[in-house]
Amino acid sequence: MSTEWLPLVVALPLLVAFLLQPLAHWLGVRAERPSPVLYGLSLMTIAATLWITLQLGSDVIAQPLSVTMGGFNTPVGINLYLDGLAYLLLLATQLALLLLWPAGAAVRTHVLLLVLAASSMGLALSGDLFNLYVFYELLAVATFGLIAASPGRAAPLVSFRYLLLSGMGSVLALSGIALIYSHSGSLNLADLSMLAASGEGSLPIAAFLLILVGFGVKAELFAVNSWVPEVYSVTSSRFAALLAGVVSKLAVVMIVRILLLLFPQPEATDPLLLLGILGLVSGELAAWRANDFRRMLAYSSIGQLGMIFIAFSLSLELGLFAGLALSFHHMVVKPGLFLLLQQPLSRWRVVLLILFALSLVGVPPLPGFWAKLALLTGLVEVGGWLNGVAAVTFLVATVVEAGYLFRIVQRYYQEERPIAGSTSSTVAAVESPWGWEGGVALMLGGVLLAVTLTINPVTEQLQQIALQSGDRERLISTITVSEVE
Amino acid sequence: MAWTPLLFSGGLAFMLFSLFMAVPFGEPLMRVGGMIQQTDGELGAANLVTAVVLGYRALDTLGELAILFAASTSVGLILTGVKQRTVSVECEELGELFEQASTLLLPLLIMVGFYIITHGHLTPGGGFQGGVIIAVALFLPTLAGRGAALLNHRLIQQVEGGAGALFILLGVAALLQGESFLQPWLPVGEIGALFSAGTLPLLYLAVGIKVGAELAALLTHLSTNVPSPEVPR
Amino acid sequence: MTLAIILYTGAIGLLVIGLAGVVMSSHLFRMLLGLVIAEAGANLLLILAGYRWGGAAPIWQAGQFPTTMVDPVPQAMVLTAIVIGVGVQALAIALLIRHRHYSGTLQRTGGLNQLQADLDREAGVRHTRSSDAPTLNPLTEVEHVH
Repeated sequence: MSTEWLPLVVALPLLVAFLLQPLAHWLGVRAERPSPVLYGLSLMTIAATLWITLQLGSDVIAQPLSVTMGGFNTPVGINLYLDGLAYLLLLATQLALLLLWPAGAAVRTHVLLLVLAASSMGLALSGDLFNLYVFYELLAVATFGLIAASPGRAAPLVSFRYLLLSGMGSVLALSGIALIYSHSGSLNLADLSMLAASGEGSLPIAAFLLILVGFGVKAELFAVNSWVPEVYSVTSSRFAALLAGVVSKLAVVMIVRILLLLFPQPEATDPLLLLGILGLVSGELAAWRANDFRRMLAYSSIGQLGMIFIAFSLSLELGLFAGLALSFHHMVVKPGLFLLLQQPLSRWRVVLLILFALSLVGVPPLPGFWAKLALLTGLVEVGGWLNGVAAVTFLVATVVEAGYLFRIVQRYYQEERPIAGSTSSTVAAVESPWGWEGGVALMLGGVLLAVTLTINPVTEQLQQIALQSGDRERLISTITVSEVE
Repeated sequence: MAWTPLLFSGGLAFMLFSLFMAVPFGEPLMRVGGMIQQTDGELGAANLVTAVVLGYRALDTLGELAILFAASTSVGLILTGVKQRTVSVECEELGELFEQASTLLLPLLIMVGFYIITHGHLTPGGGFQGGVIIAVALFLPTLAGRGAALLNHRLIQQVEGGAGALFILLGVAALLQGESFLQPWLPVGEIGALFSAGTLPLLYLAVGIKVGAELAALLTHLSTNVPSPEVPR
Repeated sequence: MTLAIILYTGAIGLLVIGLAGVVMSSHLFRMLLGLVIAEAGANLLLILAGYRWGGAAPIWQAGQFPTTMVDPVPQAMVLTAIVIGVGVQALAIALLIRHRHYSGTLQRTGGLNQLQADLDREAGVRHTRSSDAPTLNPLTEVEHVH
């Protein structure tokens, strides 16, 4: 398959999204009603993008791929860049969508989810600064619509508040992009990286700050994450799992890419470290105080992402590796928790909960332990007082995490009989049916165990991916070489 | 008077001001702009901004189209499904003048809109600008109180979807011909002629029709599906 | 030099006034209007990055492109940004309409408490604003099946 087919990963879901409502009319289905046929069509579209990704990305850790759009060379044109990290993100997005797509949703919801799919994949792939902004906005708009479609009176207001916050962030990010363009005259990430590396062409860190705060809204960054508990409380478990698992990671990786490529100055990682620490502290403490599990998981998410930001602020390969390890670990565990806690606990569900909790807290030999160890090692190795503060905070936060996660388990075991649902409270050992959500949570638990067993090869692969992501010269040479062909 | 936000705003303004004034104004680096200037119209478009929008950065335009589409679909999702009386916009008698004028203006506006769309590669303008004019033209009857009789929502949705699909299919057609996605393919022709610049005018036509239909439906949706408040005030 | 000062003051002024307006407003629609103004300011900033002294519009005239032209790339960017802004604003208005349908008012005061109360009620948790110990009990909470 020619590498020129990579853009179809973005274009195909959009094409189907455009045509879905006319198709619905043709089939005689109203756009507000569900439709199994169109649900199947949407799944097939995502499966098609998965197939294209697998075909094109199989060798991508050894040989990253750059595809120019429309045949125009960078930096005049836009390019899509597929390296190991983008490949993993694409696969994660596609699998998450396939597993978490709501079957009985209205046709319009399918349309918005397809748009979300296209924008996520574009966000993972794009190699152009303004193109990233466009896909980020597309993701945001799809998210606003999907949140507003949730049942409940609070949904429109929650979506509106998220919209305002996201809009303010976008305005700042756009100013940052304007600043970068004024300083450099180019928008292509590889081109900007080349310019930034040469001495006098360095970009102002203020531009990074603007972009950090702007795009940090989706990444649940410290000051701009007030939307998180509200949105996670309102939406369905599946969509919350999708947001917490996939969308936030895409935003984080986008910010990190911009940081790595455009801002090689050592001071640039300071705001990341500071906001990460603040996010960690505020998130974990608020999770401790939360009254219902949705908000607890939401705040916990903020805390975890704070940890991820701290990891990415270390300018070592170890920092990159720790950040990626923590991100992918969170991507497995947090959706699992959201899906698991949707239904009341019973014996086997508690076992799964304990598994996830142990991994999240960081108990060996589960993957969470290795990821956190990498972070701690990195913090200690780099040294410096702020990193020391980060390390201490990180350890305290781990204790707090253990506290609020195992509090649930404790309460379960304190009650004599598990109460399954609102109707039958008399039968002791009957499991409520696991359902689709439970099944996916079970599968995620299985993935966690599988990674535990194969931790060495997984670590090696991840280290290679981290190495490749931080390798600026490789990226520049790949993208500029592709012009010649 | 809340002084804290004002203080922060002042600080932000000062910071941005000093940042932007550090760059010499009126002397852009023209790194990419210079390269585009040097291509000397290889795309055949007399309007270089159109060449950028539809040629060099066509993926951005696709994303932009998708954003409008997602917004329009979301509005449909948000505003239907609530059982309410459809109350049309409460205009008082706007008078004979408005009604007659809107009847006269409607075809003129549509003509101007299409002119701007089809000449997007020659003069400033293009699909989005012309599409907005067409959308307003289609919205005028609603304003004049003649209701949404002019707009058949089913037809509009099909036009919208079809035009968007046309944009992507033009890009895929280039792919099937062995070139890149969204590469302009029809013969370039002579710069400045109406039938020039390959697929660019076609792309803008698709964009214009899509935007026009979409925004007209959006405006009508917003104005006619205003639910009465549940809670008495 | 003074032209630069005037133009940048205008653009940054719009941006900052818009952001301040969002934060300081007590009515949801005015917050949205603040966002609209801020977006206009940001678009202006972007356009200003492309201006060139004595540059002409980048359009083929009299058989050639002008030798000094303004930068066409920021113009294309702003085109996209404006359309994005329009989409988001339309969506916001729809959200406000729906919200007013549910709560009868668009005033911001009291909206936050109402929001928290709604969220608590839907989670099956007792709404409280005191700082007593959390009462986490997932056994008796059954989520609404969506």
